[in-house]
Amino acid sequence: MNKSIIVENLTYRYGELVAVDHIDFEVEAGEILGFLGPNGAGKTTAVKMLTGQLHPHEGKAILLGYDVVKDTPKVKAQIGVCFEQPNLYEQMSAIDNLKLFAELFSVNDFNGFALLKRVGLAGREKDRVANYSKGMKQRLMVARSLVNRPQIIFLDEPTAGLDPVSSEAIDNIILEERERGATIFLTTHDMWEADKLCDRVAFINQGRLAALDAPRNLKQQYGKRSLIAEVASTSGKIEKKEIRMDSADTAGAVENLFSKEKVITIHSEEATLEDIFIKVTGRRLSE
Amino acid sequence: MNSRIIKALLKKDISLFMNNRFYMLITVVGIVFYIGIYFLLPSEVDEELSIAMYAEEVPEAFAALSGQQGINIGYFEDEESMTQTVLDGDYIAGISLPTDILDIWAAGNKPDITIYYPSAASTEVLDAIVALVKELSYAQTGQSINFDITQEILGADMTGNQINLRDRMRPLLVIFILLTEILTLASLISVEIEQGTARALFVTPMRISDLFIAKGVLGVGLALIQSILFMLLVGGFAHQPLIVLTALILGSIMVVGIGFLLSSVTRDVMSVTGWGMLILIIFAIPGFGATIPGLLSGWAKVIPSYYLTDTVNRVVNYSAGWVDVSANLAILAGFTALIIYAGMVTLRRRYQ
Repeated sequence: MNKSIIVENLTYRYGELVAVDHIDFEVEAGEILGFLGPNGAGKTTAVKMLTGQLHPHEGKAILLGYDVVKDTPKVKAQIGVCFEQPNLYEQMSAIDNLKLFAELFSVNDFNGFALLKRVGLAGREKDRVANYSKGMKQRLMVARSLVNRPQIIFLDEPTAGLDPVSSEAIDNIILEERERGATIFLTTHDMWEADKLCDRVAFINQGRLAALDAPRNLKQQYGKRSLIAEVASTSGKIEKKEIRMDSADTAGAVENLFSKEKVITIHSEEATLEDIFIKVTGRRLSE
Repeated sequence: MNSRIIKALLKKDISLFMNNRFYMLITVVGIVFYIGIYFLLPSEVDEELSIAMYAEEVPEAFAALSGQQGINIGYFEDEESMTQTVLDGDYIAGISLPTDILDIWAAGNKPDITIYYPSAASTEVLDAIVALVKELSYAQTGQSINFDITQEILGADMTGNQINLRDRMRPLLVIFILLTEILTLASLISVEIEQGTARALFVTPMRISDLFIAKGVLGVGLALIQSILFMLLVGGFAHQPLIVLTALILGSIMVVGIGFLLSSVTRDVMSVTGWGMLILIIFAIPGFGATIPGLLSGWAKVIPSYYLTDTVNRVVNYSAGWVDVSANLAILAGFTALIIYAGMVTLRRRYQ
């Protein structure tokens, strides 16, 4: 597969503070990469460097074959960025906001109405953005990041603080864009969203990459692998029994359970990404 | 430079400008207000004769002048302070009588009387003052032409070309119109930075030069259109319109530079308004100097707008030509280049 993003030794400092500390990673075309970390971990600084807003002090980032610093306009022409905080022209209508950015990207066959319909804003196209709810603004932000049909989409906390309907609408758009072939760089500290959407997740902590893998692999590597069964005793009392999955007698233990006990429920116990993040970094994602 | 991007940015800024009541208010009310002020000001000159006089011993006939209808006499203790008030425009003339005038007359000799005029005094005023001095001398001595007279013009000689107040105010009003656009432009930029929309622009193929050009065209356009409209309505293009237009173009570019500077050092619209008013007052000072001759001394020349108001004043009120104001225009162009450069450098940092 082609690499959409190649990051080598990327570093940025704010004075003495090393915000991003020599990070390396690659993202395949059409992949959704979750970039997880608590506030102040270096996520936003990394994204600013990847989108040409900041120049790295060390290292480089190659997007779609172009060096972000040397070929900034070429990179910017092929990326879309959705910021965490709504930064729309609130005195303008939604359609005019999109038309402005279509012009900035020199898109000739732009259909703003179709894009707004796609994000669930049909019928409100000509309303002033100032009159939109937070969820509507966020959906418009996502729509704005798609006006140039970007090859890479950077989404910074796209569903933070949104109602379930708006969140689901945005999640669906992310998946649709992946289907189109776009690479998604999803910055979040929402482990559930990352687990649900991402092909791989990167944990960033104090400017460094602490882990990078598929959620399933991380769970296998760091999680507690066991089966939890609820069984009914002869007195009718419900008891919990745990069977370790990686021991030599796992199969015998399972067989014994079903032959000797009345099993009510049984399920595997998996670690969450939050658990793994704590295990890897010693910090909580929500700090 | 990408003309499509610049056009899109310009269209967006005009849309934001038209949709913002504050910008529209200060623009529309501003221009109506300044034009209104011009036409409300008197176009006639005050007919009362206000005369300054210096004499150690005031002759009886001269002293009797006080209190007469249509004449206002101000007495001064020294000749220097008297000439200064004449220069300041407080009096239409100053009469300086020799210390021993009564003894000279008593000895049958002719004293030397000096009359000082401000630069804008009309020939009628000159004749009237000389006639008055003759009349008073006759009343005092009973003899005609019993003195020698020396006439001195203070400042540039504008004898016979007296300018009414409203025409003298044209440079002040036009600088106010230009300066008002500092607030509009700086507010537009500040809001973009404050609301983060500028950040969204910078992740598109737009270059910062495109942004500066779009903002510059908007700012120069707004300032220039209003100032030209004002000058057309108040007869400011009657003499040497090209010089006036050149000065207004340079002034508009300077205003854009100040707008860039202001928006790069302020945090929000409130601070833009506060600092903007301070800048407006400082930059308007030279305009007051044009309205009230003698008000300012040399220090006003450190204010860049001096070279704009002085040029406009000298051309529209004193019929100056290219040669007369070329130094002014050169200095104004230098200041403008410096301010626009500083504005772009600081605003670039703010954007980043």
